[in-house]
Amino acid sequence: MTYILIGIALILVFWIISTYNFFVSAKARIKAAVQEIGNQLKRQADLIPNLESSAKGYLKHEKGIFKDLTSARKAIDKAVKSGDVQKMADAGSQFSQILPKLQVLVESNPEIKGSGVVTKLMDELRDTSDKVMYSRRLVIDLTADFNVKRARVPSNIIASMFKFEELPGLITPEKGEHTSVSSKDVKTPKVNL
Amino acid sequence: MINIYEAIDANKRKSAIVIIAFVIFITLTTYVFSQAFGAYYGYKTGGLGLVGIAFIISGLMSIGSYYFSDKIVLAISGAKPADRKKDYIFYTVVENLSIASGLPKPRAYVIEDTAPNAFATGRDPEHAVVCVTRGLLDKLIRTELEGVIAHELSHIKHYDIRLAGIVTVLVGLVALLGDWFLRASWMGRRSKNKRSNQLDALFMILGLLFALLAPIIAKFIQLAISRRREFMADAGAIAITRQPQGLISALEKISADKEPLEVANKATAHFYIVSPFKDRAHGALNRFSGLFNTHPPVTERIKILNNMA
Repeated sequence: MTYILIGIALILVFWIISTYNFFVSAKARIKAAVQEIGNQLKRQADLIPNLESSAKGYLKHEKGIFKDLTSARKAIDKAVKSGDVQKMADAGSQFSQILPKLQVLVESNPEIKGSGVVTKLMDELRDTSDKVMYSRRLVIDLTADFNVKRARVPSNIIASMFKFEELPGLITPEKGEHTSVSSKDVKTPKVNL
Repeated sequence: MINIYEAIDANKRKSAIVIIAFVIFITLTTYVFSQAFGAYYGYKTGGLGLVGIAFIISGLMSIGSYYFSDKIVLAISGAKPADRKKDYIFYTVVENLSIASGLPKPRAYVIEDTAPNAFATGRDPEHAVVCVTRGLLDKLIRTELEGVIAHELSHIKHYDIRLAGIVTVLVGLVALLGDWFLRASWMGRRSKNKRSNQLDALFMILGLLFALLAPIIAKFIQLAISRRREFMADAGAIAITRQPQGLISALEKISADKEPLEVANKATAHFYIVSPFKDRAHGALNRFSGLFNTHPPVTERIKILNNMA
């Protein structure tokens, strides 16, 4: 009988330790994942000048694109320095808006399309905005794992015992236009070619 | 319509059930064999014993293929490291998805073969390799390739290669024991200290039965595990990319391709995203032959993915 009790106690202790360790290591991983967003944005900011100079010759007449690129880079630089995840994420999204503009430019201009340089620029742009997007995905996923475990029985006992607070993850406004659908959005878009 | 988290949970549960069934079956089989050997030779269980010896031999046979799986498979298939400039999309997709899944970036390799296919190998995420054929890179667009690579990365994340290695050792163990038992009864050399009682007779018959059937059953469960892990990797891939359509159209393209992959063989078949052998059987025959497949049918995988979309 006593052996059984000791056995149960051992299993319980083991479970408490492993659950506690999950929370602690998940927290550390989330912190690292947030830093990864900054890291990717830094890469993005460093990459743009190189891309600019390589494609400049082909985009002489498209000053608008360059203005966008430069202002996006500045915004990212500023956000990375401030160290605020939210600002970083916002700056990154400004950047990915340039891509469609470039696309239009390439499609309407066979000379640019043929050169390959601008296509390469677009590939790099898509890649770098993918990298930022996926590094945000990791933060979202890890935080979700943490928060789910924190709320679920029985691991919520450990969470409240050691006061693990719910983590915000990537902060998104929970109210606003993006959570509701207007009558305009419901209509199927028409594509005119 | 099930959401992605439910799909992953359900997959984990089903996978655990199959693995538990496998472990129970292996335990039962080794027990029967050790009892049957006992009935035959008056052999006492305990110590290392025949079962222990069989386990070590089977383990040694597989340990090399497990530990060096990345190097062996790459050497057999003639894969070359991917070049960031030349295979830009493939290289960067591997980079990006390993960021998303929180894994260290696996080494990326390309096989110069026009049949589209892909596989992952390596004993743990630190030694993982993702390998695709030239045909796959030529035929898929970026979103589809992301689906395929995410599938391979979730194999790596779930330690599927390690699981497959362990299962192979245990299947080998059963096959060895069965083989020994059959040989022993053929030779008909019985021990001098006969302890004939009813229980012994029962274990003799059971032993013979298990010697004939157990290796096949073990193989079936092994294949069931393999198919289950494919479903898991599909669901895991969607958890990373959130774009089921990419993986669906990639699977369609790969399975529609009639060209067989020359570098694949039976030993490496279970590594690939879609079985490199094209199945031709239909209907009831297909259902039966499905038991022998390392992969679930593509149509079924697409059906499940569509449910998640």
